[in-house]
Amino acid sequence: MRRTGIVSYWRQYLAISPFFLVFVGFNLIPVFFTLYLAFQRWDGLGDMKFVGLDQFKFLIHDPTFWLSVKNTIIIWVLGTFPMLFVALIIAVMLNAGVRFTSFYRIAYFLPNVTSLVAVALFFFAIFSSSNGLVNAVLHLMHLPQVQWLQNPFAIKVVIALLMSWQWTGYNAIIYLAGLQTIPTQLYEAAQLDGAGPVRMFRHITVPLLRPIILFTLIVSTVTGLQSFTEPQVLFGSTASVNPNSGGPGQAGLTMMLYFYHQAFDNNDYGYGAAIVWALFLLILLFVVINWRLVARSERRERVR
Amino acid sequence: MELSRRRLLQAGLLAAAGGVTAACGGGSKSSGSSGPKEIDLWYWAGGLSDKVVADSVTHFAALGTVKPSVIGGDFKQKLTTTLAAGRSLPAITGIKGEDIAALLPQAKQFVDLNTLGADKLQSQYLTWKWKQGSTQDGKLIGFPIDIGPTGLFYRADLFEKAGLPSKPEEVAAQIKTWDDWFEAGKQLHGKVPKSFPVNTVQSILSAAIGQNTVRFIDTNNKFVGDQDHIRKAWDTALKPLTLGIDAKINDNSWNAAIASGAVAAEVGAAWHGLDISSAGPDTKGKWRVAPTPSGPANIGGSFLAIPAKGDNHELAFQVITWLLNADNQGRGFTDASLFPSMPAAYKLPALTGPDPFFGGQVTIDVFGPAAENIPIAYEAPADAAVSAPYYNEIIKVETGKDANQAWNDAVSQAKSIAQKQGVS
Repeated sequence: MRRTGIVSYWRQYLAISPFFLVFVGFNLIPVFFTLYLAFQRWDGLGDMKFVGLDQFKFLIHDPTFWLSVKNTIIIWVLGTFPMLFVALIIAVMLNAGVRFTSFYRIAYFLPNVTSLVAVALFFFAIFSSSNGLVNAVLHLMHLPQVQWLQNPFAIKVVIALLMSWQWTGYNAIIYLAGLQTIPTQLYEAAQLDGAGPVRMFRHITVPLLRPIILFTLIVSTVTGLQSFTEPQVLFGSTASVNPNSGGPGQAGLTMMLYFYHQAFDNNDYGYGAAIVWALFLLILLFVVINWRLVARSERRERVR
Repeated sequence: MELSRRRLLQAGLLAAAGGVTAACGGGSKSSGSSGPKEIDLWYWAGGLSDKVVADSVTHFAALGTVKPSVIGGDFKQKLTTTLAAGRSLPAITGIKGEDIAALLPQAKQFVDLNTLGADKLQSQYLTWKWKQGSTQDGKLIGFPIDIGPTGLFYRADLFEKAGLPSKPEEVAAQIKTWDDWFEAGKQLHGKVPKSFPVNTVQSILSAAIGQNTVRFIDTNNKFVGDQDHIRKAWDTALKPLTLGIDAKINDNSWNAAIASGAVAAEVGAAWHGLDISSAGPDTKGKWRVAPTPSGPANIGGSFLAIPAKGDNHELAFQVITWLLNADNQGRGFTDASLFPSMPAAYKLPALTGPDPFFGGQVTIDVFGPAAENIPIAYEAPADAAVSAPYYNEIIKVETGKDANQAWNDAVSQAKSIAQKQGVS
């Protein structure tokens, strides 16, 4: 007597159901609720008012929104590509049979599990203009000091550095796992043919690691474009006048921070919802671009 | 994409777990109509004197149980969520000064305290503060806790070094207007180059706007942010920048600047003295406070309210009036630097004592008259949202943007925000 899958495995399904119920209740439904909200005007308490596409029309003409898009993309570029490159180098070095690999693995992973708020406060102390460590070192080396937390570009660099510091280790560990699946014979054969380490890296490691690189790129895109805590903690959120504005010149105003500001400081939940959906579209766009770029070169590789 | 999916699920689970915990925290209050009356009291750390709150529990023990909870995190957010849910509401809740204007349109969520007899107490409290907690049609939603009258904090030692008058009454006599102040500031920065009289133009802007009787939106719900009174405040705020006496401190390095003496003066609310003393404990005794140039303004200060769906409104109102009577307002000042909203409290020993941080000055001599002379200004629900572009743009001027361009950008952004928020 054969029973269909869902019936015969009901115990297993029951066992995993709590997660999915919670996921539906606290993630899936809210996601669709924000889509509904994006077409309403709502202050969080009173009656909702249907406004059609007004929120999106305003979004398109809102210079602060476009500033936040620009900030987000610049911070993401500064924080992602150097970070992934460094992570790959670290992974290759770890894979090359250094001693105490486990120690390094733990050490590199540690920043990823450290509280982001604590890290941000630490970075704040390091980059503080008047008495920060970085400016003190620059001063000792007779180099000009930088107003790290005031200059609009320096602000983005600091946020990007913070993100890099936190995610380099995580990505290095992922790369390391990928590297260990590459058969050593390939390297031995290449060595016999007289290939140097750089050539091996370019022609064996990178091509075979491509799916892993795509994965890290996508995860970094999804997390990097949603940076929020970094600028929020760095540029004070407790002010009663004009909170969460993203620091001097609003240079640290990311899309997530702008969403938070509109929804929770200005009680404009409808507009906040419109901003996060715009962010969703931006992330989607970037993921597709990444995917196409990496996938296309993979195809080319195969043809060759 | 095995890993990606797993990560996504993990993140979802974490977020969901967070949500569940938060929900449990909010839902644990039950208030039976039978048995002893329960008065849940929500406030934030430092929002009321903890000692006064503890005493209220024993004081009302015969009538009911006062159950205070200090709500951490984003207070307004938690209150809004609970109000929207319409369940498990506290009998009494605090409302921060910056949130009251946005909550007044939701007056039906709260009890009009005048129906419980608040109107009889009105004469004891500051008129402008009472108006701030009332709707335009006269319902009292927020009962005044504390206020934030501004003053001019300054370093007497550095003033002396610069050849300026250093005693509060002399400073008050010489510095009456913003222009007097910037003139004195020029002298200060000239003689003591490492010290600045202004920390950032933004703080001048917020004080200068608070000196008006009209803000960004008038009582007819009309946008007036492009008019002379705002432009004048904007121009005043930018003067120190033109004169080169602005320290341009618009990040958290303010603490270090206070400790090192780079900031030699600052316009701030009464409670700001506490920020200064914790940033620069070594500067104790060197600070004084004088009246704000061109008149006082108010920054901050909060309220207590009774949610309509909370329980035991009459008893809750009794608790509120007890928590905020003159004696307890005096204690609030001692324990938590809450500046009383009731002029009768200004004569209490708690306020008339000399303050060692200010070199033994009796600061109530400055803040008391300031409190009573704060202009009554209508703050529209959208005021904070509409004012944001001005604060953002003036900081951009500090970092190099053309002042006229910044003004035009601020006005056009504020206009469109106002329009979106339903202001004509």
